[in-house]
Amino acid sequence: MDSREMVIAKLAEWDIVPSEEDLAELVPAYEALLQSQNVLENMLRTRSMGNAMEFPLSEPAVIHDMGRYR
Amino acid sequence: MASTAQELAFSSIEALSARIQRKEISPVEVTQTMLSRIDELNPKIHAYYTVFHDEVLEDARRAEQEIARGNYRGPLHGIPMGIKDIYEMKRTTCGSQALQEYVAEEDCVAIKKLKSAGSLILGKTATYEFAYGIQSLKSPVEPVRSAWDLSREAGGSSSGSGGAIAAGMAYSAMGSCTGGSIRWPAQCLLHVGLKATYGRVSRRGIYPLAWTLDHPGPLARTVKDSALVLQALAGYDELDPASANVPVPDFTAKLDRDIRGMRIGLLADLYEKSCDPKVLEVYDKAVDKYRSLGAEIVKVPSIGIPELEAIEWPTLWSEAAAIHVRNIRNRGDQYNPNTRQFIQWGLLVSNAYYMLASRCRAQVRDDLNAALTRDCDVLMLPTAGFQGPPPVAEESPGLNFIGSAFEIYTPIFNFTGHPAIQVPCGFDSDGLAVGFQIAAKPFDEVTMFQVARAYEQSEPWHTMHADI
Repeated sequence: MDSREMVIAKLAEWDIVPSEEDLAELVPAYEALLQSQNVLENMLRTRSMGNAMEFPLSEPAVIHDMGRYR
Repeated sequence: MASTAQELAFSSIEALSARIQRKEISPVEVTQTMLSRIDELNPKIHAYYTVFHDEVLEDARRAEQEIARGNYRGPLHGIPMGIKDIYEMKRTTCGSQALQEYVAEEDCVAIKKLKSAGSLILGKTATYEFAYGIQSLKSPVEPVRSAWDLSREAGGSSSGSGGAIAAGMAYSAMGSCTGGSIRWPAQCLLHVGLKATYGRVSRRGIYPLAWTLDHPGPLARTVKDSALVLQALAGYDELDPASANVPVPDFTAKLDRDIRGMRIGLLADLYEKSCDPKVLEVYDKAVDKYRSLGAEIVKVPSIGIPELEAIEWPTLWSEAAAIHVRNIRNRGDQYNPNTRQFIQWGLLVSNAYYMLASRCRAQVRDDLNAALTRDCDVLMLPTAGFQGPPPVAEESPGLNFIGSAFEIYTPIFNFTGHPAIQVPCGFDSDGLAVGFQIAAKPFDEVTMFQVARAYEQSEPWHTMHADI
């Protein structure tokens, strides 16, 4: 399945049919998103898995964990 | 327009409130000045969607009477302000054709607090559609223009709030910030733009863009004015699940203390390689100024632009998609095409991606907190790495910025939650405004204001305004 087909299929899960105008924007943006996944995976590799698993589930980003910094 | 009226229109809140308290000037006179400027200039600037002519004058008369009786409420009493049109108050369109008929049943919490402090609400200011659909000449509403150069836009998404202050049509105006929508227009227009710590200001009644990134806050002319507005806004709201139940300090407590010996940490890894040299040249002078004021400048390791973008935009758009998906499905034709495409793109972000980004943002947050504990008192970096504001666009750039270099440095503090303020620091060689950000530990806005004010008072930028 190429990127265009993937975009159409993923939006179909939400009962949305993109126009050709929409697809012209969405397909390259979807391919950029796949590249960003690698960036994030590399970020997590800079920490040990143990530490990564200890990260709080992050949202709201500060207040759930503010006790550590006060 | 007489120069005295011009001076009045571009006063700081700090100066104007002192005159109101001393009864040298009446809130009615101040409000009439604002309304006459809006009548004259708004057709060129397009900053306001709705102006409450009669209501705000009535409120001004009431404020005048209260002050005359000795019931002065504080520095916002009798001060006219604008409100971004995503805050619920009367007709609230969010800049969208889809909400042209929507009328809020009650004021949102932030507006109630501002009114309680005595502010006078002039009207509802323009916004990018739902705070993100970028305006262009093809949009259903006219894009907001910069008073500095009417061929340019005012930045966004809080474009009307910035545009109103820049044209002397408000003393402060509320914006909202999910990736930089307060600090970016503030940079474009030589204003101060404030985003307090996540949870400091209630978002209840403000139309969400992305729940975990949204921050309400003011644009204003000076650091102290920003602190005064935050003073009115801050406080716990048990009905906002993100609200933080923490003490509210006096945000002006350290404003006039010097900063000798304080450590300023530069997030150079984020901007050094990507920042436009014309912007960097002006920013570097601001760093030098801090050095001359006695601060110690250190470098703090940070993520780069690829990591920032990989966390911010998919998180933002997937949360926005969750909010808008039903409307997009049922009446997507009422949205601007680029707004609709942003939402569709958010639906392409997988669950695993979102969780990966959540882990990474926690990692960045922890790193910045460690630096602020160990290496420095505040963080500093440019607001954006490109010149702005751009000329008013013929059409929206759409999703083109995704995957390309987009050197906006504001989102890092949206996804970590740290308080951050944009401070103007002059003009580049093309005459375009440049600004920088100061960020501090969570809930330490007092130190952030102190450091920002120290620079502001050493330079003339906050006294300048467009000649309009």
